Amino acid sequence: MNEHGMDHGALLAHSVGDFVKRGADLPRVRALAQTRAEFDRAQWQQLADLGWLGVLAPESCGGLGLGLAEAAIVAEGLGRALTPEPYTAVAVLAVRTLEYSADTTLRSELLTGLVGGDRVPVVACHEQADDVAATRIATTATPFEGGYRVNGQKQFVIGAAGADGYIVSAQAAGELQLLWVPRDVAGCATGLIALADGRSYGTVTLRDVAVPREHVLASGKAAQGALGRALDHAATIASAELLGVMKSAHEMSLDYMKTRVQFGKAIGSFQVLQHRAVDLYIQQELADAVLREVVAQLDAAPDDRARALLASRAKSRCADAALAITRAAIQFHGAIGFTEDCDVGLYVKRAMTLSAWLGNGRAHRTRYAQLAAQTTGEAA
Amino acid sequence: MSDWNAMDDEAFRAEVRVFFENEFPAEFKFLPRRMRWHECRDWYLKLSKKGWIAPNWPREYGGMGLSPTKLLIYLEETERAGVGRMPDQGLTMVGPTLIRFGNDAQRKQYLPQIIAGDATWCQGYSEPNAGSDLASLRTEAVPDGDDYVINGSKIWTSMAHDATHIYVLARTDRQAKKKQEGISFLLVDMKTPGITLRTIRNIAGHEEFCQVFFDNVRTPKKNLVGELHKGWTIAKGLLGFERLNIGSPRRPLQALEKLEALAQARGLLADVAFTERLTQLKLDLADLGSLYGRYVERARRGETLGQDVSMLKVWSMETFQRLSELLIEAAGDYGAIDGEVAMGDARIDVLSPFYNSRPGTIYGGSNEIQRNILAKYVLNLPS
Repeated sequence: MNEHGMDHGALLAHSVGDFVKRGADLPRVRALAQTRAEFDRAQWQQLADLGWLGVLAPESCGGLGLGLAEAAIVAEGLGRALTPEPYTAVAVLAVRTLEYSADTTLRSELLTGLVGGDRVPVVACHEQADDVAATRIATTATPFEGGYRVNGQKQFVIGAAGADGYIVSAQAAGELQLLWVPRDVAGCATGLIALADGRSYGTVTLRDVAVPREHVLASGKAAQGALGRALDHAATIASAELLGVMKSAHEMSLDYMKTRVQFGKAIGSFQVLQHRAVDLYIQQELADAVLREVVAQLDAAPDDRARALLASRAKSRCADAALAITRAAIQFHGAIGFTEDCDVGLYVKRAMTLSAWLGNGRAHRTRYAQLAAQTTGEAA
Repeated sequence: MSDWNAMDDEAFRAEVRVFFENEFPAEFKFLPRRMRWHECRDWYLKLSKKGWIAPNWPREYGGMGLSPTKLLIYLEETERAGVGRMPDQGLTMVGPTLIRFGNDAQRKQYLPQIIAGDATWCQGYSEPNAGSDLASLRTEAVPDGDDYVINGSKIWTSMAHDATHIYVLARTDRQAKKKQEGISFLLVDMKTPGITLRTIRNIAGHEEFCQVFFDNVRTPKKNLVGELHKGWTIAKGLLGFERLNIGSPRRPLQALEKLEALAQARGLLADVAFTERLTQLKLDLADLGSLYGRYVERARRGETLGQDVSMLKVWSMETFQRLSELLIEAAGDYGAIDGEVAMGDARIDVLSPFYNSRPGTIYGGSNEIQRNILAKYVLNLPS
């Protein structure tokens, strides 16, 4: 990182620190959950103005050109505040996919627009659950008048509620293609499925969608490589969001245990609760340590397999730790924890949606096991 | 003598590895119990002669003066080569304690004996009624002329039957307001009249620890380490590095290697349910490595480790136990067999990791005590 980059990194850490200090704006989070809008434009523009959407994006497109460590700082802060806006889907998954795609006018236009906050491209690549690397693709791209006609259906698309277009993966004669499909183009329909935390999964149906040649972002091995790397980076940064969620939730539990009195004593003085709180804290610190290590090593991973092993370590530990900590938060709070009014539920639900997206703990352990059994080769 | 810390890490590792691999006696490699003094004496003297017996001591006292990073490499290579644990209390506890809290006369008298292998030490901390609640100990030392006179008994004293000396926490002030005050740290020669031993077999059938009885045992006043009544502070002073060392992934890693060899030999990797559990444990261990790395880095920067290092001991020893338990389960009917079992091409001692992983959650402050420490000092929960 150059001197310029270091300044950006320090400034970024500072602005995230301020953001976290202000505390979570939970009334906004609750209100937004009622609307299915997933993000409000003003907040999104603020993220763009802070430079957060462009943390990873190249400087030639207005981004900061920083690394995953900085993206993780932002994501952890957003996770702490339960920010529903699709930071990881747009500023990591879409940015990385575009960044690793061919250098075209469309690519710079999308990246520049994304960093500024006025374009919202998201990646639509999954068709089946547990397909961590999104390689099981039935969507087809058939050559047609210098471009492609695309047919198929994509699932589990976070950020679709406010997206203005999709980066779609499709098979063309056995070769993977990454294609840009504007949301309102003929034949493209977006359905929204409500998630536990008020956000949505987009289901994107493509019927004879015409994609001109200029909208081809990457092809063949290059497309595979771009998507594979981008997905591992996104799973890692989603893990950083989970880390933020679990830290806030556990702090809430500990605060409650220090103030709630039963049997004439703060319940946090009871050893059985102390030991449960400690065990969950150990999970949190393991998650933190793994995430830091993975973030530091991911970009320098020698091959696809090494990179995928790292990302799966981060996601499986962070997902399961966040679930354990938030679920325990309900129990620590007792009956109040089971009410809609109690904020604990917001953390539980965000942990659930972030865990499930891009492969849950079990899916990542399965991939880890498969890859660990191989001695060389590419990510499954 | 070389300046080890100026060496490249990997070059240092290579030098240590070659020496351990070539010089450590093959018949004692990966011994499933601690080595007795008569078994390891030659090895101890060989290390001593080479200047490698006290990797953690400063060079002025005959140590290697290794930095934390180099020391961890040294310890990793010890485990890797299957070098068993020797009676090492003099090296790990007494030496560092005297260097930090002792006086010149004590250092001059005791440190060279430890380096030369003329003195081996054991630790007199636990008592029959003072285990987790160590500060309630009742062994008493009363001043009488130039001596202290000690009465009481210590238990779970590892390798006391091989030791020439014992360091003892004894109560010197019954009137102290807090039980932690009024405890002193004393050095005692095991040949002193009034000391008797009873050896205790551990669950694996090995005689590794003893009960030590003190009946009017006299030790000179010059054997008081640090200030009178301040022994508790000394006892606590060395725990940081000990917990970092206990938290190292290398012992559970040995259990994992056995488990993978056994799974291979028995064709268990085709079993999806088994693989899921194996993978979870592999990740538990890999993630321990990340957490351990965090503390090594802090130690390397010269930071004092805080109470939070307790979590390393909890996670490493419990991961070690889970691995040892899956090893037995994966062995199926073989899991009842004592000693090495032939399975396919492999010969695996299925039960020794189970036994070896048990005391780690008990000694050095049980894992329940570690959780109390974390709850109080790290999570700031009320008492």
